Amino acid sequence: MYNNKTSNKEENVQIDNTILEKLEKLSHLKIDDGKKEEIIHQLSDIVAYVENLSELDTSGLDASFSTLTGGTPMREDVSSKQEEVIKSILAHAPQSEDDFFVVPAIIE
Amino acid sequence: MRFETVIGLEVHVQLNTKSKIFCSCPTSFAEHQNTNTCPVCLALPGALPVLNLEAVKKAMLFGNAVNATVNQKSIFNRKSYFYPDSPMAYQISQFDIPIVEHGELFVDLEDGSSKRIGITRAHLEADAGKNIHDGSISKVDLNRAGTPLLEIVSEPEMRSSEEAVAYLRKLHSIVRYLDISDANMQEGSFRCDVNVSIRPEGQEEFGTRVEIKNINSFRFVAAAIAYEVARQTEAYEDGIYESEVYQETRLWDVAKNATKSMRGKEDSADYRYFPDPDLRPVLVSEEMMEEAKHIPELPDAKVARYIQELGIKKDDALVITALKEMAYYFEEMLKSNINPKSAVTWLTSELLGRLNKAGLDITASPVDAATIATLISKIESDAVSGKGAKDVLDYMMENDERNIDTIIDKLGLAQVSDDGAILAIIEAVLNDNQDKVNEYKSGKDKLFGFFVGETMKRSKGSANPAKVNALLKEKLS
Repeated sequence: MYNNKTSNKEENVQIDNTILEKLEKLSHLKIDDGKKEEIIHQLSDIVAYVENLSELDTSGLDASFSTLTGGTPMREDVSSKQEEVIKSILAHAPQSEDDFFVVPAIIE
Repeated sequence: MRFETVIGLEVHVQLNTKSKIFCSCPTSFAEHQNTNTCPVCLALPGALPVLNLEAVKKAMLFGNAVNATVNQKSIFNRKSYFYPDSPMAYQISQFDIPIVEHGELFVDLEDGSSKRIGITRAHLEADAGKNIHDGSISKVDLNRAGTPLLEIVSEPEMRSSEEAVAYLRKLHSIVRYLDISDANMQEGSFRCDVNVSIRPEGQEEFGTRVEIKNINSFRFVAAAIAYEVARQTEAYEDGIYESEVYQETRLWDVAKNATKSMRGKEDSADYRYFPDPDLRPVLVSEEMMEEAKHIPELPDAKVARYIQELGIKKDDALVITALKEMAYYFEEMLKSNINPKSAVTWLTSELLGRLNKAGLDITASPVDAATIATLISKIESDAVSGKGAKDVLDYMMENDERNIDTIIDKLGLAQVSDDGAILAIIEAVLNDNQDKVNEYKSGKDKLFGFFVGETMKRSKGSANPAKVNALLKEKLS
């Protein structure tokens, strides 16, 4: 399930039409054919810029996931309900019915 | 060509905390739609997740129960996907560093052997809500969204559906013993996804794995594996393996008894994992690390102890320990200092037989452990015969009276073990049958049975047969 993992030492990514197509799909965006070359160029620049980071020698350093020190706070396992809040949220939902949120049919 | 089946399992265990993993909403099941929600699990802007300490503790407990590494530092990631069951448009899960990794468990197979199955990792994550499809709309209930899950991933080390089901049963039993989950498959608190591939026997590298989701019983796991192995094997033999078998997610269709493709080949998911900026790393204190080592006695340890200390057969020990409630019932019985082997027989054949007939499980047994233990002690003290005790048990299955002596009297099952009383009957029998006594003494051994029968008859069946035998032998020698 976690086989999409990107390694630190990945090869320089070449943005081409195939990757752009995948990005369009993932971002739900449609890029005009006329703009494709420009976008590919810009994306390549961005990736090249980020790859500046590879110049740093990070071997021997632990992976870091936050610029903050310390761990995430934890709470005791006590449950509570705020019924007024959920009523208000449901009332403000674009569409609701019988206390369900309603969305367009999901085609399975 | 012969093929080898390769199976890996992902099990989602709902942890039985009182509140959700990142907010204080209750986790109670079957509530009115959307009443167990709040700005955090509905992903309203600005609402921040705060981790439930108890969920972390339960995950750590599991890690120690399966000899795994419990990571003192683990990371929460966002797993992006778009579906109305997740208002966040991502699932908070663990990716780079899970809380638990490198564990193992041992499965017991039918031929009596045992096999080690590696556990790759177990990580904490938030469950999704539920959708109800209704014509042109879908209704969304987010009560379940944010319920803590422990996803337990095995190594692809199972080679048959028997091994896969044995693994699931063992895992199920372990989480129940640890009391970290109800593990109720029907209610979805123990869900499994199965990864299946085949490879020609002797081939080193794995074939293409197919993931089957949505399986809610052990029986369906076996059926889904059988179906998928047949489908993949056929594709291989027909020379269309490459085009027919590709990495995809399939669903088990209960009605059709088949797996079916869930989404197209080209749409394989890209979750774009990245560390959740709302949650700093999970840092576990030394104190919590120590505390998580206190695990209750697990089924494997119980089996070993029952065999070594109580002299019980392995098969019986496996039956008793399969269910936590059964093992506790058994241990409750032993508190009355009865013979463990009698306890096994009375629990596994007499009581379970009657419960099965009545359609009850051990937790709903009308007769509790202390009562049945008292009954067994009455057999051991010769107050009632084994057969009489079965009648007492039958009586208790139907009636409320639990005083064993009262029932024995009521049913007229009291056994006479008093030597004097039995001797009196024997003497009367021998006096009345002097001719037969003479025949016996002159070598007609078969008549012994006659004397036993006559004595039992005169005692109206209440005499202890073993005593009758012993005393008659003495008298006639």
